[in-house]
Amino acid sequence: MKRLWQIRELSTVVILALEIAFFTWWLWPEAGRTHPFFNGENALLILKYSSIYAIAAIGAAIVIISGGIDLAPGAVMALTGVIGSNLFVVHGWSLAASMTVGVATGLATGLLSATLIVAAPLPPFIATLGMMGIARGAAFIITEGQYFDVSSRLLGGWRPFGVPADWVAPIVMIVLAIIFQVLMTGFQWGRAVFSVGGNETAALFSGIAVNRVKFSVYAIAGLLAGVSGVVLVLVQGQGKADLANGYELDIIASAVVGGASLSGGRGSVIGAVLGTLIFGVLRNALPQIPGATFYDRLIVGVVVIAIVVMDQTLLKKRV
Amino acid sequence: MITAAGLEFRNVTKSFGAVKALAGVSLTVHAGDAHALVGENGAGKSTLLKILAGIVQPDAGEVRWNGERLHLGSPREGLERGIGMVYQEMLCFPNLTVAGNIFAGRELIARGGWLRVGDMRARTRAILDELHLAIDPAAPAESLSAAHRQLLQVARALAFECRILVLDEPTTSLTDAEADHLFAVLEKLKARGVTLLYVSHRLPEVFRLCDRISVLRDGHHVETVDRRGVAPERIVRAMVGRELPPRSARETSAEAPVRLELSSLSRRPCFQNVSLSVRTGEIVGLFGLVGAGRSELLETIFGLHAPDAGEIRLDGRVITPRSPVAAARAGIALVPEERQRQGLFFNLTVRDNLVLPDRTLRGDALVRADRERDEARALVERWRIKTAGVEVLPDHLSGGNQQKVVLAKWLATSPRVLLLDEPTKGVDVGAKFEIHEIIRREAARGIACLVASSDLPEVLALSDRIIVMRAGRVQGEIDAAGATEESVMHLATSLERAS
Repeated sequence: MKRLWQIRELSTVVILALEIAFFTWWLWPEAGRTHPFFNGENALLILKYSSIYAIAAIGAAIVIISGGIDLAPGAVMALTGVIGSNLFVVHGWSLAASMTVGVATGLATGLLSATLIVAAPLPPFIATLGMMGIARGAAFIITEGQYFDVSSRLLGGWRPFGVPADWVAPIVMIVLAIIFQVLMTGFQWGRAVFSVGGNETAALFSGIAVNRVKFSVYAIAGLLAGVSGVVLVLVQGQGKADLANGYELDIIASAVVGGASLSGGRGSVIGAVLGTLIFGVLRNALPQIPGATFYDRLIVGVVVIAIVVMDQTLLKKRV
Repeated sequence: MITAAGLEFRNVTKSFGAVKALAGVSLTVHAGDAHALVGENGAGKSTLLKILAGIVQPDAGEVRWNGERLHLGSPREGLERGIGMVYQEMLCFPNLTVAGNIFAGRELIARGGWLRVGDMRARTRAILDELHLAIDPAAPAESLSAAHRQLLQVARALAFECRILVLDEPTTSLTDAEADHLFAVLEKLKARGVTLLYVSHRLPEVFRLCDRISVLRDGHHVETVDRRGVAPERIVRAMVGRELPPRSARETSAEAPVRLELSSLSRRPCFQNVSLSVRTGEIVGLFGLVGAGRSELLETIFGLHAPDAGEIRLDGRVITPRSPVAAARAGIALVPEERQRQGLFFNLTVRDNLVLPDRTLRGDALVRADRERDEARALVERWRIKTAGVEVLPDHLSGGNQQKVVLAKWLATSPRVLLLDEPTKGVDVGAKFEIHEIIRREAARGIACLVASSDLPEVLALSDRIIVMRAGRVQGEIDAAGATEESVMHLATSLERAS
């Protein structure tokens, strides 16, 4: 099983490498000019923007492995970004304090979804669909159509702990990915998530606290969406209510491309992060191809289907 | 017609990975015969049936029907060629009506794509009448009893005018009366010239219905014999490939302290006023027909449901387990009835499955894979679980070995009380014997065992004492020494006859 995951993650790495190789070849510049795609600066750019999706995708992967679904991350990112940037810009709070409140808001939305799913109990699809509306609506109420300009207050070489600003998002993402990968593969909690996703009834009959596991999963997803939202306003420099519109589907797609099965019990955190990088490279490289800009969404859609179909055929052969 | 030999399997071979499920099986089912296919789980029966149904393609060999080679790409093609399947797990669409189930996938359609609901209901009515089934074609399938749902599959096969009807363990969840009805229907079909291929572990059924019996073992065809002039013991020997040791007598200790005691435990409407006790080292059989409330009783003791009234005492102390974790911490383990649905994780390895309850109870934070692997290997060896290793998924195991995994994972928690719900359901003869041995050995070590089973010979063979339940109430208690099938059955059904 563990070997199977490793192979699965490897295949995501291979797809990513092929994708990078393809765009490197396609966008090869005339002699003497720097490569517009394959260079260090662009790599950091891709990494920075992918981190926004990747942090939330970690949570989405965990939720999906537990057999659930979370439709709220996009809206929650907007809400937490708006609250964080509002406190920072309008109320003059310190950056650390306002962003902490932003992340805490994300956790709060997660706790609310978790309560609805475990205590009501509502199907995760419905609970998080509702949460999506509530979070997006709250973001609009707070902003009243304005936007909060974070970047103008961050001018003058913002370097938290001496780290260049561009590196903050990737570092946060990589640290969180490692933490949750380890939690999912090396801890009883992670195995409990896999067991609940694989067979909820058997988990109950095996003495696993199914409700507690489910609760934790949605709380974590909310928390990570909160972190994503804060990272988003820091990267984009603006807090507004229509941030991260439709991101939930990209995030779910990344988790699925990274090996998560929507029927639960299968998937990985690292896979989901690699999935966001696959889309990050697409979003970065396609606009550089003349005339390809309008094909962006279409190509993303085709890629999701192609990768999942490929994965299923490979899986069938392997078993 | 003698040359067209009915259904022929010629040198059929099929491997799944390294496992050879069928190693060149050749056997013939004469047209119009009722032919039994017996063998332990893992012998290759299911694979052979799946090939016949077109779900699985053979690696080599062929299947011929009346001399003509069958090339089946899907179950649908099988149905169109007149091969009807009745599965063990009762495939039905609970949300559709009876008629909807019978015509699922082959609905009668009028011009413009409208469903001819009326015609389908009328046809269904005719088929059901033929089977003497008092079922409303418009009723939703979920309102039917297990037996009627089983018969629905037979009706579905008839609607397709099948010439071969294949039945895979059709009586697993039927009561005796319901099984009788099924047999009556099958006899009628046989008289009409339908060829029956009947797969079962239950030899009495096989001997009752079938003309010829084929035995499979480890993917090989051992022999095909005529029912007349063959003793059941010989078939069992052929299936198992060895002599079964005789039933071991056990010392029953009437003075041992009471370990588990229920007083007036109720959970309406499932069971009421249940009082019973199990002593240390005792095996108490809980017999009753389907719906007697046994599973609910065991699940309540295990903390899955809250009782309305009454007490559970463990070693004299009142306990109120509010969850399976609480019950398991108190020393109670439950091996549930449906291992596929309630017992196993098919996305996790055998190792994970084996150590999960123990690790959950201990409350460890870390997964220590190396240590777990050693423990899992020890369990596999100790309980003789046949598996390619501890890092494989449990769907590669046969039913009996899957059941041993569920049993072993709970025994690894060193319980004081072991609750078993139909511990050998759908398990082959050899594994059944081994599971009985495991239960006896664990009881001898002092575990109090409460075994719910509707398999009467099993209850009689295993128990020190037998408690009979009917409609949620304890009907009586019989010492195993003086119990006979008749006396137990009488208790289980007497009220039904009176009322």
